[in-house]
Amino acid sequence: TRSCLLCVKMTKLGFLRLSYEKQDTLLKLLILSMAAHPNTCLNELFLVGSYFNYRTTRFLTEEGFYKFHNWFDDRAWYPLGRIIGGTIYPGLMITSAALYHVLHFFHITIDIRNVCVFLAPLFSSFTAIVTYHFTKELKDAGAGLLAAAMIAVVPGYISRSVAGSYDNEGTILSQRYVVYSNAFKKASIGKVLEFVKYQIETYTLLFKSLVLFLYWLMLGKISPWTGRFYSLLDPSYAKNNIPIIASVSEHQPTTWSSYYFDLQLLVFMFPVGLYYCFNNLSDATIFIIMYGVTSMYFSAVMVRLMLVLAPVMCILSGIGVSQVLTTYMKNLDVSRPDKKSKKQQDSTYPIKNEVASGMILVMAFFLITYTFHSTWVTSEAYSSPSIVLSARGGDGSRIIFDDFREAYYWLRHNTPEDAKVMSWWDYGYQITAMANRTILVDNNTWNNTHISRVGQAMASTEEKAYEIMRELDVSYVLVIFGGLTGYSSDDINKFLWMVRIGGSTDTGRHIKEHDYYTPTGEFRVDREGSPVLLNCLMYKMCYYRFGQVYTEAKRPPGYDRVRNAEIGNKDFELDVLEEAYTTEHWLVRIYKVKDLDNRGLSRT
Amino acid sequence: MEWPQVLLETMWRGGAVRFVLASCVFCASVCADGLVNEDVKRTLDLSSHLAKLTAEIQLANHGAARVSSLTLALEAELAPHLAFIGASVKGEEEEDESLELKETTLHGQSGKFFEAQLPSSLAPGAKLRVKVETVFSHMLKPFPTHITQAERQLVVFQGNHYLYSPYPTRSQTTRVRLTSKTVESYTKLGNPTKSEESIEYGPFKDVPPFSQDDMKIHYENNTPFLTISSVTRTIEVSHWGNIAVEETIDLRHTGAYLKGPFSRYDYQRQSDSGISSVKSFKTILPASAQDVYYRDEIGNISTSHLQVLDDSVEVEIRPRFPLFGGWKTHYIIGYNLPSYEYLYNLGDQYALKMRLVDHVYDDQVIDQLTVKLILPEGARNIHVDTPYPLTRSQDELHYTYLDTFGRPVLVATKNNLVEQHIQDVVVHYTFNKILMLQEPLLVVGAFYILFFTVIIYVRLDFSITKDPAAEVRMKVASITEQVLTLVNKRLGLYRHMDEVVNRYKQSRDTGALNSGRKALEAEHRTLTNDITALQARLKAEGSDLAEKVGEIQKVDSQLKDLVCRCCQEAERLVAGKVKKDTYIDSDKTLSGKRQELVSRIDSLLDAL
Repeated sequence: TRSCLLCVKMTKLGFLRLSYEKQDTLLKLLILSMAAHPNTCLNELFLVGSYFNYRTTRFLTEEGFYKFHNWFDDRAWYPLGRIIGGTIYPGLMITSAALYHVLHFFHITIDIRNVCVFLAPLFSSFTAIVTYHFTKELKDAGAGLLAAAMIAVVPGYISRSVAGSYDNEGTILSQRYVVYSNAFKKASIGKVLEFVKYQIETYTLLFKSLVLFLYWLMLGKISPWTGRFYSLLDPSYAKNNIPIIASVSEHQPTTWSSYYFDLQLLVFMFPVGLYYCFNNLSDATIFIIMYGVTSMYFSAVMVRLMLVLAPVMCILSGIGVSQVLTTYMKNLDVSRPDKKSKKQQDSTYPIKNEVASGMILVMAFFLITYTFHSTWVTSEAYSSPSIVLSARGGDGSRIIFDDFREAYYWLRHNTPEDAKVMSWWDYGYQITAMANRTILVDNNTWNNTHISRVGQAMASTEEKAYEIMRELDVSYVLVIFGGLTGYSSDDINKFLWMVRIGGSTDTGRHIKEHDYYTPTGEFRVDREGSPVLLNCLMYKMCYYRFGQVYTEAKRPPGYDRVRNAEIGNKDFELDVLEEAYTTEHWLVRIYKVKDLDNRGLSRT
Repeated sequence: MEWPQVLLETMWRGGAVRFVLASCVFCASVCADGLVNEDVKRTLDLSSHLAKLTAEIQLANHGAARVSSLTLALEAELAPHLAFIGASVKGEEEEDESLELKETTLHGQSGKFFEAQLPSSLAPGAKLRVKVETVFSHMLKPFPTHITQAERQLVVFQGNHYLYSPYPTRSQTTRVRLTSKTVESYTKLGNPTKSEESIEYGPFKDVPPFSQDDMKIHYENNTPFLTISSVTRTIEVSHWGNIAVEETIDLRHTGAYLKGPFSRYDYQRQSDSGISSVKSFKTILPASAQDVYYRDEIGNISTSHLQVLDDSVEVEIRPRFPLFGGWKTHYIIGYNLPSYEYLYNLGDQYALKMRLVDHVYDDQVIDQLTVKLILPEGARNIHVDTPYPLTRSQDELHYTYLDTFGRPVLVATKNNLVEQHIQDVVVHYTFNKILMLQEPLLVVGAFYILFFTVIIYVRLDFSITKDPAAEVRMKVASITEQVLTLVNKRLGLYRHMDEVVNRYKQSRDTGALNSGRKALEAEHRTLTNDITALQARLKAEGSDLAEKVGEIQKVDSQLKDLVCRCCQEAERLVAGKVKKDTYIDSDKTLSGKRQELVSRIDSLLDAL
């Protein structure tokens, strides 16, 4: 708006007597360039999936396409390995590799890492532009500009497109909208030419893109897993049948608060946009209605699909807001408040001007608060890499917990090159990318039984676990422990999932979930806790020597700050493991699996 | 010729005649100088992970001829560990003059030998005080080689009780400095005295040349045994005012290996747990260092502190994890320096004077150093002056932003460096200043091409079908544009006429007025005709704007009438036909009307 004022001023002064069209183009360009301006500059990778993608991209740039295509990765899924070239969708990697090579051809020596980090913001700025064109096809340029401005700051989309989130999801939107808006353009030309023929083509295109869109959703985890697809249609399916899908926090149903958190104003303007679309039914608006409503449904199934909802929310809200504004702008009497205005008062609409200006003020207020909310959410929730945790200290200063990288870097430099690391699958990608060590299971959860085997090891006693670990040739075990710092998504809190997944296959039939509960059915780590839990490998690895640590004032030693309990099993020694490394804040603990003793009977 | 003389001399002096005889047979040239170490004071500093041996030698020329050079010797066992050797002559006025050393070989003697040219040759019987400084790395061997976290680190030093010298020594003492009172064992030659943290050997009298006797000290040493196993220092010079320095460092704890578990609990609770481990160290950067970064393969390392002091910038480097024996880490530290402090030029001649290697931590040991000096694109006639010999590799080319034919890169390597090697290297080269313009021109060119293609693209029509409506719109737009300028010009004419009238009122020059009026008429006619022509064209295109233009024309003719009336009124006033008051009144009404008409034209123009 400031540029608009400026423009008007310049026109008045006669500096720049542009025709209306030129002014319009200039304004549009200014607004769009502002919306499309990528707004982050951190160079760390944020999300878990990004590490894997980054690793594969680096491989592609270093080794070339054919080697990449035939790449058999022996660093993951030991001892099975994984054929990467054949099982991933290489579009993202090829895009960045191509960008990298083009830039290097012109001697712009940018690191491949930076290409990966900034690919998402680059594509999200394309998204803003494409959203403009798409919405313009649906309604008009004003709505398009609004939608573009909204998508530029909407937290639900920023969370996936912020610099450092290097994933298919962030980049796919812009491509998808190109397809859509092209389809609509084609439709409008088609009407002039051969209506029916093009109509059919348009719809097949749309249908294809819808199918593609569903397909792309699956890409997040790559595996051609029908279970996840079912869980989309029937939210209870996964929970009842596949514990590993249900265990992922991103696959939990979305709460209302997170809708407001991620979308704010859009939640309220979405129905307005829908209303407008219903009022002006056309092929395009029918499509956007369907698109909006179905994404609404999907996003309610799992949190990660918020990403799909956010852009369509922006489009529909853009349409809604623009409609409201155009309706009332017309009623706004801009002429000077002398002579004419009084006599032109409409008797059926008494305070027209006042209502209109009030409405516009309210709208402006909403839009401003939306901007502030988005900025706040982005800076609070989506701007710090998930690998670095931070907390507020007693004096309000920021404390950084960089323990994950500390541990991974220690693994990278101080363990044998061929060491095999066992951990829960959540940390698999990070370990392969950062520690460069072989792991048993990773975030590509394609082999349920293998993950289950790891779950069994974690849930068994030391004796049993040692057998499994020898069988899997494990040299180090890594656990995440938040009891000292109060980091709640640690392995003890995930432990029940390990038990469930471990018990879900034949080899782990002896592992029963209820063994890990107290007789009253509670999951407790204190003295009341089930003895099976208190003696399993995971418990011992997390709480080894923790019984001596004073964590909080006026509490006994060994007080777990996540579970808010004094641990039940304190003074024990490990028989088959030895502490290899524990990070500064005890967030990551790494244990070395001892060798068999000389006689080969048991451990040393 | 000198043989018999030497023999005579040595025999005359007595003592270990046989020994000297034998050695003389093997090293005739050395003994021939007749130099004797009168008094030797050695200080062996073992308080860090380095072995620093300083010997103060009082030399005397017992020969008959003047001596112009002296030879320094190192035991064969120590030689591979030698990182640095330096010798200086103590002058009478307490001014040290360092000597240039050249490696030589001595026939039949094992070890390493250096020849130093004396500043002035030593006359027979004259004396000279020489200070020899040597630093050895990896001389202290941890024993036991593996310790647990709770244990302290013990190390063994093995050396020589005597000064290894090609000259006989009259008297010598050795003082060994240690880090702690705890000494497991030490060789007891000559009954040394041991005090708090030091051991004193000697004095030993009349030691023959090349004497060796094993000295062995086993003691506690918990100082960080930190070694830089390799460092690559890249210095990139830009003539735009910046020198970027980046060091890629591989660090290793070369003390006793950690045996058994690492317990974080003990490490946090007990201050002496893991006493020999390295938590952090200080790196001192130049005072003008800016934009310091400290990172590794997996991102920025958040555990570091930067302190800007008056004469330096101190970075407290904390590796991601504490380094125990055998553990290693890898990191990158980089910063920018302003080039005016290091780059000098005289016309096209440039000289870069920078540290070849810089401080990483106190008492540093660098096993392998690689220096890469990236000079600006177009630097020629490169000539390097190094403070000590380095192995030069093949020059490389480096391409970065806006480079076309590549920047020359000088690559040099050297092994086993210590603090004493922090010295300046000077690189001379010529650079044509015109080349500075290359990069901005490239950018300008690129933008030019970009804009040009956009211009071309916009002008091209790629559509398969013709859109007559759009074409008409464009035509109409261009015509209205022309109308706008013409109408504005015409309005300008009236303003000009006003000025003419005003001038006339003062000067009463009717001729000027008439000519002004004539000019107005003529120009007005042409402009009006042009506009009418444009109006006709608009009409031909079927645009409804033609009517608006017609309206403008109508209003304009009224306006012109008013201007003419104005003119006449002024004439009448000047001729005295009307009174001043009435003129002012009528002028006011006229100008009011004119104002109204002008604003009507303006609003019509806005509507176009």
